[in-house]
Amino acid sequence: MATLLIVDDEINQRKLYQEELRDEGYRIQLARNGKEALDSIAEAPPDLVVLDIRMPVMDGLEALGKIIGKERNIPVIIHSAYSSYKDDFISWAADDFVVKSSDLTELKRKIRALLERKQV
Amino acid sequence: MKSVTTLVLAGGKGERLYPLTRDRAKPAVPFGGIYRIIDFTLSNCINSGLRHIYVLSQYKSLSLSRHIQQGWNIVSGALGEYVTVVPAQQRINEDWYKGTADAIFQNIYLLQKATPDLVLILSGDHIYKMDYRDMIHFHLQKGADVTVASVEMDKELSRELGVIAVDADFRIQGFEEKPETPRTVRSKPDKILASMGVYVFNTEIMVKRLIEDAKRATEHDFGKNVIPAMVASGDRVFAFNFVDGEGQAEYWRDVGTVEAYFDASMDLVSICPLLNLYDTKWPIHTYHAPNPPAKTILCEDTATGGRRGTAYDSIIAGGAIISGGEVRKSIISANVRVDSYARVEDSILLDDVRVREGAKIKNAIVDKYSEIPEGMTIGYDLSDDVKNFTVTESGIVVVSKGFRLP
Repeated sequence: MATLLIVDDEINQRKLYQEELRDEGYRIQLARNGKEALDSIAEAPPDLVVLDIRMPVMDGLEALGKIIGKERNIPVIIHSAYSSYKDDFISWAADDFVVKSSDLTELKRKIRALLERKQV
Repeated sequence: MKSVTTLVLAGGKGERLYPLTRDRAKPAVPFGGIYRIIDFTLSNCINSGLRHIYVLSQYKSLSLSRHIQQGWNIVSGALGEYVTVVPAQQRINEDWYKGTADAIFQNIYLLQKATPDLVLILSGDHIYKMDYRDMIHFHLQKGADVTVASVEMDKELSRELGVIAVDADFRIQGFEEKPETPRTVRSKPDKILASMGVYVFNTEIMVKRLIEDAKRATEHDFGKNVIPAMVASGDRVFAFNFVDGEGQAEYWRDVGTVEAYFDASMDLVSICPLLNLYDTKWPIHTYHAPNPPAKTILCEDTATGGRRGTAYDSIIAGGAIISGGEVRKSIISANVRVDSYARVEDSILLDDVRVREGAKIKNAIVDKYSEIPEGMTIGYDLSDDVKNFTVTESGIVVVSKGFRLP
């Protein structure tokens, strides 16, 4: 069973993603901001990270840079309400970019695709 | 006209230049009486019309930052031009830069706002005069993803250099860092094509390749990792050969060792130096302290034991006074004093060195603020010099900054 780290500062969104993705058969870790995400990765590296960008304490782009900098090969999906972050160079370091939507089909599909690619 | 941002790597430790790099990064090492090594690269930028320049510093950056602040405020902020020192800020990683590619990756945000078409990456460690516009033109003409500047060097130097193999169109086929048995230049078996550590990248492809490299466990170095990976993956990687109008290799030196530094310095006091500092079309800018003119004094009759201040075949910087001593084939930097009956030969004296009466110096580099006491000899008895100074294999004595007898 693959483990996903869901990083989002909004409690209701965290709950929603946790439930929906658990139903897909994943084990879920949660973090409220970039800093918690880095701590969580250091403690127990997940198989994939779903990363919000606008968060307090440490935003998703800074966290992404630090995840990359550690040379850890953990796939990261940026999950943001703002597609304009696609212009940010650091966002290019993510394996995929999903604009937030109430319909999680695209997010689920991309999670599956990246995990399959990782196994190959 | 494509927009270009220039990033100068100036974090080099220059370990083989020790003790000249004891208190300063390699780009800040003084050269040629009034310059520092980085002045040549920065002058190339200014003379090439490139005035959006970030200097990425790291180790021992104080004297470098000060120099750039004092000497390189010549560009116009009002016109949006800048020469800005960027210290390692650990925005992405809490380590020092792991390699040249990592240094750029860690500072990728610098490019975000301007998002230039092209990025020119330079090393602040080398001495040469180059119009980067020619290289940029070549890059665009070839439709390259990245262009690497190359220069013909002697084959024996391959273990110090990145060696490039090209096809007839100068597309790079192979890139090896410091090989023992290098690929030589076609029709010139004693020459190699060396990388100058100068790269023109299309910004977007550079960002992508740096991210890919950051994710891999490599040394995060352009020469060792990024460029070879780009060649292997089929990117358009070209070499721009640094030659003059007649196809002869231009002057380029990585003064990475004390010997190379000494030789490049001594070239300057020859009658026709390989490196011409007197070309008014290509001025080398630097920080000029408000020093008075150089001066020689005392012209007594030496036949009767008199004192005579003389200098032959030498460079003498402002503020220096040769007072009754003799200087031959040497570089005398700002505010140096050579006192009566002292003799300085085949040597480099950096700023504010004092050579006291009757002292004799040859084949030596004397770093700033040192005081050579009365009657002392340096460079005559190496077994004695070793006690106080660094002596290289080839017998050059290096006196550390601020030396004086207790």
